[in-house]
Parts: sequence; structure tokens; C-alpha cells
Amino acid sequence: MSCLAIIILASCSGVQESRDDSFKVPVEYYKLDNGLKVVLSEDNTSPTVVVAVYYNIGFRIEPKNRTGFAHLFEHMMFQGSQNLGKMEFIKLVQTNGGVLNGSTRFDFTNYFEIMPSHKLETALWAEADRMRGLDITQENLTNQQGVVKNEVKVNVLNQPYGGFPWLDMPQYANENWYNSHNFYGDLADLDSARLEDVDAFFKTYYSPNNAVLTIVGNFKTAEAKKWVEEYFSNIPSADLPQIPDLSEPRQTEEKRFTKEDKLANKPAIAVAYKMPERNTPEYYAMGLVDQLLLQGSDSKLYQKLVQEKGYTGNVSGGINYLGNMFNYNGPMLWMMDLIHDSEVSPDSIITQVNQAVAELDSVSQEELELAIVKMRSDFYDNLSELYGFGTADLLASFALFDDDPSRINALEAEFKKITPEIVRRTVKEYLRPTNRTILIVDPKAASL
Amino acid sequence: MIAIKKYILATLLATFILSGSHAQKQTPPEGGKPQDFKLPEKEIKKLDNGLTATLVQYGLIPKVNINVIIKTGNIHEGAKEIWLADLTADLVGEGTTSMDFKTIAAKVAAMGGEVNVSTGPNQTTISGSVLSEFGPDLVKILADIVMNPSFPSTEIDRLKNDLKRQLTVQKSVPQSQALEKFRSLVYKDHSYGRIFPTAEMLDSYTIEKVKAFYENNFGARRTVVYAVGKFDEASVSEAIEKAFGSWKEGPEVNYPVATAGQTNEVAIIDRPNAPQTTIMLGLPALDPSKPDWVPLGVTNSLLGGSFGSRITSNIREDKGYTYSPRSVVYAGYKTALWYEQADVTAEHTGAALQEIAKEIKRLQTEPPTEKELEGIQNYEAGVFVLQNSTPQGIISQLNFIDFHGLDDSYLTDRVKNIYNVTPEKVKEMAQEYFQYEDMTLVLVGDKKLLQQQIKTHEQTLKAK
Repeated sequence: MSCLAIIILASCSGVQESRDDSFKVPVEYYKLDNGLKVVLSEDNTSPTVVVAVYYNIGFRIEPKNRTGFAHLFEHMMFQGSQNLGKMEFIKLVQTNGGVLNGSTRFDFTNYFEIMPSHKLETALWAEADRMRGLDITQENLTNQQGVVKNEVKVNVLNQPYGGFPWLDMPQYANENWYNSHNFYGDLADLDSARLEDVDAFFKTYYSPNNAVLTIVGNFKTAEAKKWVEEYFSNIPSADLPQIPDLSEPRQTEEKRFTKEDKLANKPAIAVAYKMPERNTPEYYAMGLVDQLLLQGSDSKLYQKLVQEKGYTGNVSGGINYLGNMFNYNGPMLWMMDLIHDSEVSPDSIITQVNQAVAELDSVSQEELELAIVKMRSDFYDNLSELYGFGTADLLASFALFDDDPSRINALEAEFKKITPEIVRRTVKEYLRPTNRTILIVDPKAASL
Repeated sequence: MIAIKKYILATLLATFILSGSHAQKQTPPEGGKPQDFKLPEKEIKKLDNGLTATLVQYGLIPKVNINVIIKTGNIHEGAKEIWLADLTADLVGEGTTSMDFKTIAAKVAAMGGEVNVSTGPNQTTISGSVLSEFGPDLVKILADIVMNPSFPSTEIDRLKNDLKRQLTVQKSVPQSQALEKFRSLVYKDHSYGRIFPTAEMLDSYTIEKVKAFYENNFGARRTVVYAVGKFDEASVSEAIEKAFGSWKEGPEVNYPVATAGQTNEVAIIDRPNAPQTTIMLGLPALDPSKPDWVPLGVTNSLLGGSFGSRITSNIREDKGYTYSPRSVVYAGYKTALWYEQADVTAEHTGAALQEIAKEIKRLQTEPPTEKELEGIQNYEAGVFVLQNSTPQGIISQLNFIDFHGLDDSYLTDRVKNIYNVTPEKVKEMAQEYFQYEDMTLVLVGDKKLLQQQIKTHEQTLKAK
């Protein structure tokens, strides 16, 4: 009996399984006439459904005199639309048994709900309502300026290591303003935002032809398509501005900076290298290099810095501190950071990093196979993150940036193409000392 | 580590859309009929030595999460042994009599995972999540780690130093400072009130002390194993029996019960020039073994535990005093606390406290409307489904009922019990368990400014 149920479940959701246990995500992709990209992926494991809307506007390209505006605007999307007043969107989701959130990243702003599956239509209606237009008062804007300033205070200004290194490093490592400004925003810039800025930003970036809608979970495709058509198809598209030039010049000198932290009492260090361009062989090679150098307690840097030298209790890092190696679309850093004792000099840490990188010169096929196993396992964790939201995130990113959400099932093949020779060549160009930026935290708090 | 995010995923509430007041507006479509939700089936296995294992098949993704949970932690430390449980677990993770740390790390990495060791107040967890086909192999390694630790004396100084560094860093974080103070005021004579050791204490720990802590507290009778995911049940089950079957029975489960003290003390921790004040305000509450636990949770959710809750709507969405306020019910063993926590703009500390007091009072004087409560109930029921919709979530739900000595009906009746709460019951809960005058208040912020700000709080107390 249970066997039958499992077979039906698998065929309904379109899941294919092969002998090597490689797992495929079902993907249905199409566009509405107004340009809205739609990705559907059934998974009937639990009676819940994820609705995620991604807009192709990240903090990188926010207006130059309005740092932090993309994120402040994200807050405005919860402040009222044509049919839902302040707090009503949030209450609509919660009183129907769902949870919701939004976030602002390098290259997109996202909004999502995880609902009991029978409330899918309600969530689609509500997302369409705020895609159609906002209805924001000065009072709402002032309120959220207060909230966002408190967000910056709690996460950065009143926190030891606040903003280190995720907010700081792009500002030190990058040259192009779009990649190197303060994404959270100067408090003065946040204060100077006006209602007409909100209006202009919405009109410029929040149109269906600049967005993707993703539905993942327990639903029926035909029914979902009907609702998508009903609620989204009559939202007008808009002319989109040219995306500015985001490119970074090739770095040719090591950069080193020290930041004083009045609230911290132990030094810290971050080391960042500029990544190869997305979706190139070198990019995939860096994914494997990241696994070998930094991910897990077997990694070279964990072994050296934690186990052998005892410089720190933990090394953090990876590609894209505000997401993962798949959900961005522009220049990026591969970075690591750790907190250490003042008896340990930054240079002794750098020496260990240099040695770990040098060992990759003799990387073997077996090591790459190990990295692929770790990568696959991490990737499955990505997919299941936050009740299936992780799957929606990858589908939306690949639709938004590559117009091809089915890439979600093609990644492992790309990693498998990477040879020791490609890794060596990648390490030589991208992990050279002259391609890196070092940021040191100088702790200035009175010790205990 | 994702920082630019709004904290909505905490807990719940709301008034439904008032269609009457917005006659010109469209009403949201109501949606369809709810699907049946059944908790996933579990297989329970008891070994002769007292160890219990629970296996649950869940999901489509070919991974399995295995947690080995030992019912010991900081709770078994003496007053001069704070974090000895952490050091013990760290050393347990350093290798077995047949495999060193590096060997274990390499083996588990080849399965697509790593071994995580974590020490909590009540439980020590050794866990891993690997590709399904390696489930039995991971079981074998986890068993070896907990049963045959080698306690390498070469590693203890490094691990102690790591703990000291961690201590220094944590004590510089305002939220940790608040927590330490708050707990020490409420739990005067129990490990729940001892969050941080001193550096001298950490210095005094030796391999002998660590081994003694392990001998006194680890063993099969105190251990539960969970395997959840998509995996071959027979082979994992067999591996558990084979690997753990020979372990010593060890001590029985034995948790010293804490008594939470009620005190309306006000403690200020000075953080000169801080732009915000970290507020912790709360008091003892009901623990999960009490019949009113569910109504307490629903009341918390309506008052401050969800994004749409009254306190959050007020001090964040109306006043803009704070970004991530939330109220929490913290459950220990046969004890619990309720508290509101918020980081508020320094100059609005007094005003924020006043608004919190106002919201509590309002709930004590008039019950919520049916609609507001129903919204919360829907939210709580929805969250419960989500909590049981991931492998790790399923483990924490099963672990929750096991730790608190509850039976399955806690889970199977939970949705029903959520909907049984009445508006009048919420009001009663607020009256009985949320007396502002009885609350312990900890403020971490600029002392000079706070001495002014605190006057508002004092007036609120007098005005009761």
C-alpha cells in the first residue's frame, strides 16, 4: 500500500531517480505576454507551497546618491498596495497559516511566502497586488526609515565585528562604485529618501518584465497556471533601463587595510580574492577549490588554522556571503574570515593560506571527486533550505540571470568537467596574492 | 550570516482584512480546502542497554540526518565547572581510540558531510548529514566517537584557548551581556543561571576532569539516536543496533530541577555611548508539561511572538523604535521563562518600555476578538506543519517531546489544542502570567542616558 503511494507521488511530481541517486528537480518554465517569467516545480512531500517573487534589482545598482535605498525599498513593499493597507499583507499571510520574508542581495530583491498549499491562490493574488502598484504614505516611509536605521544599528553600529566582513570587504576590495559602496546605506542617505524616490524606484524596477515568479511545493500545475494568468497577466510591463557596467578591473596588487573596531576585543582577519566570471570553467573550478580549501572540517584551511596551529576555533567563508555561489550576477569575492588572539600575527595566518593554496598545485583527480561529493551534498542542503524555499531561490536566480531555470539540474555535470589542469590554471590566476584584499580588525574595546 | 533580512519568521498574529472599512477594495481569494496533515510515521527501536533510536522516512532528497543526543550538558556542571560540558564534548570530537580527528573528517567528507559536536544546556549532540547511501557508515563513526573517545591530551590546551577566545568575544556582544544578567537574576542556584565561566575556571580544567565528566554523564541510557531523511531503513537500523549495542548502560537520565525566581529587579549594564539599548524583560512561565502550555504559546504569539503581534506592530511598525523585537517562551527542564527582547533606539528606551507595558495591560483588560485569535491560531497551526516538514525539524519535534517527557499526543493533538484556546483564556493567561510589575528588567546601554529613561518605567510600575 505505501509502495503504491510512493510511486504515485514520484510520478506526479515528475521526480526521476537514477541508480546513482542523482536527484532531479522538476522544472516547468514559461513567460507571460507582459514578460513575467514563471517557474513551477511540484514537490508533494508536505501540504505546503512556496511562492517567491524575485525582482532584478539588487543593491549594487541602486541610485548613487541614495545608498541603502534598494534595501529601504524592500521594506516599503510591506507597507501597503492597492488592496492591502499597512500590516495587511503580513497579516493576510500569517492569518492564513503562512510565514513570509523578503531580502535584498547583490543582484535581486526577493519576497516570499510559505503557505499551507490550499492558500496558494491567496498568496498569488497578494503578490500580484503589490506588483501592480504601491500605496505608501509619508508616515509609512518615516516609520520604515526608523526601522531600517535600527536594523543598521543592531547589526552593525552596536555590534562587535558589525558588518565584518560581509558589508566591509566589498567596499575595500572593489573599485567600481556599483560593487564598492555601502549597501546598508549611510544613515544620512537613508534619512534623505523621499516619497518620490519610492515612486520612481518602483516604476523603474518593479515591473513584470523585470521579475520572476516561482512556485515550489504542493500544487497542481494546471490550476497554478490558471491563477498566475488571472492575477499577473494584466499587469503592464515597463521600459527597463540599461544595466550599468558592473565590471571590475583585473587586480594587480595585493591590498591591505586595517579597520578599528571600538566594540571588539580580539583581532580578526578576512582575506578575499576576486572570483572568475560566472558560469565559466574557472568559476566551477573555484566552487571545487572552495570545497577543498574551506568547507568542512576536512578542508585544508580548517586543518591548518584550527587543528594544527590552533590560531582560531573556526574559519568561515565561501563564495558570496549574502547567498551562495549560484544566486548572484556580477563581480564576486571568494572570502574567508576568522577571529584570533593578538599573539598571532596576521602574517602567520596569511602564511597558512599561502601554503594551502600552494598545495592545490598538485591537486589530484581523487581530490576533485571528493570535492564533487561534498558539493552535491551541500547542493541538496541548498534545495531543502527553509521548507523548499532554497529550491525556489535557485530556480528564480537561474531564470532571472540565465533565462534557464533548468540549469538547476545541469550543475553537477559542469563540476564534473573540471580537471586538475583547470584547477591549477584557475588557482594560478585567481588565487594569486596580487588578486587579494586583506582586511584586519584592530580591536579597540577595553579588555575584560 | 545573511544580514539584510527582515525578521518575520518568528511566530504570529492578526486582524483579518476588514472588508467593510475598505468597501472599494478587492477582497483576497480565500483559497481551497485544507489538505490532511499527518505526522510522518516513525519506527522506534529500544536496545537492551537502554538506548533508544527513532527512524523516520521523509522527503525526496537523498540525504539522511543522524543525530546522537546524549542527555547531559551544562546542566550537570558544578558552579565552578561552567563550560566543562563544552570542553568535554569538544574533546570527544577530537578522535577515537582507533581514528584521529583528521581521519574521521576525511571519511565523513567522502560521505558528503562532517561531524558536528554541540553542547547545550541539557543535551550534547553529535550529528551529521550525509548522502543516503552512507547512512550506515555514518552511524558506525558517530557511535565510535561517543563510545570510544581517546581524549588526546595534546589537544586540550588548544581547545581551552578556543573557549577562552569565544568567551571574550561573546561577552562583548550586548545581547549576550543581557542574557547572562537576566538568567543570573532569575536562576540563582542552577546552571541555567550560569551562562559564562571565567577565564580562570577554564584554565583549571584538566583531562582528568574531562574524563570524569564523561564517565559520570555519558552512556546508552542517556542516549537517543534519530535518523531522518530518505534512506534504507533496514541497513541503518541494523547499523545502530550493531554499533551502539555494546555500549555501557551508563547513568540514568537525571536532571536537577531549576526553580525560577520572580524578582522585579532592574539591572543596567553600562555600554557607554551605545546607539541602542538591549532590553530583556520577563518572568517565570509555565513549562511544556503543564496543561496550559499551549494557551501560553498562543498568547505569546498574539502578544509579541510573531511579526504581526501587538508589541511588534506597536514598537516596530507604528513607532519605528526597533528592528527585531520578539517575545519568547524559553523552556528548560520543568521550568520556563517568558521574555520580550528588543534592541531599541537609546533615546526611546523609556517610551518602548511604556508601550510594551501598555500592550500587556490591554490584553489583561479585554480579550482579543475571535477574529484576531483565529488569525493567530491559523498561524500557529501553519507553523506547526512547517516545523514537521524538514528532517531536522522532525528531529527537533521528536526530541522536544522526549526531553520534556511528553507523549505523542502532544504532537498529534497540537493543532486541535491550538484551536481550543478561547479569547477569554488568552486574557486569563495574560492576567496570570504576564504581570508587568513582577518582571525582571535588564538594560544594556548607555548608563547615563538610561538613568533618565528608566524613570518612565518606574512611573509605569507606580501607576499600576
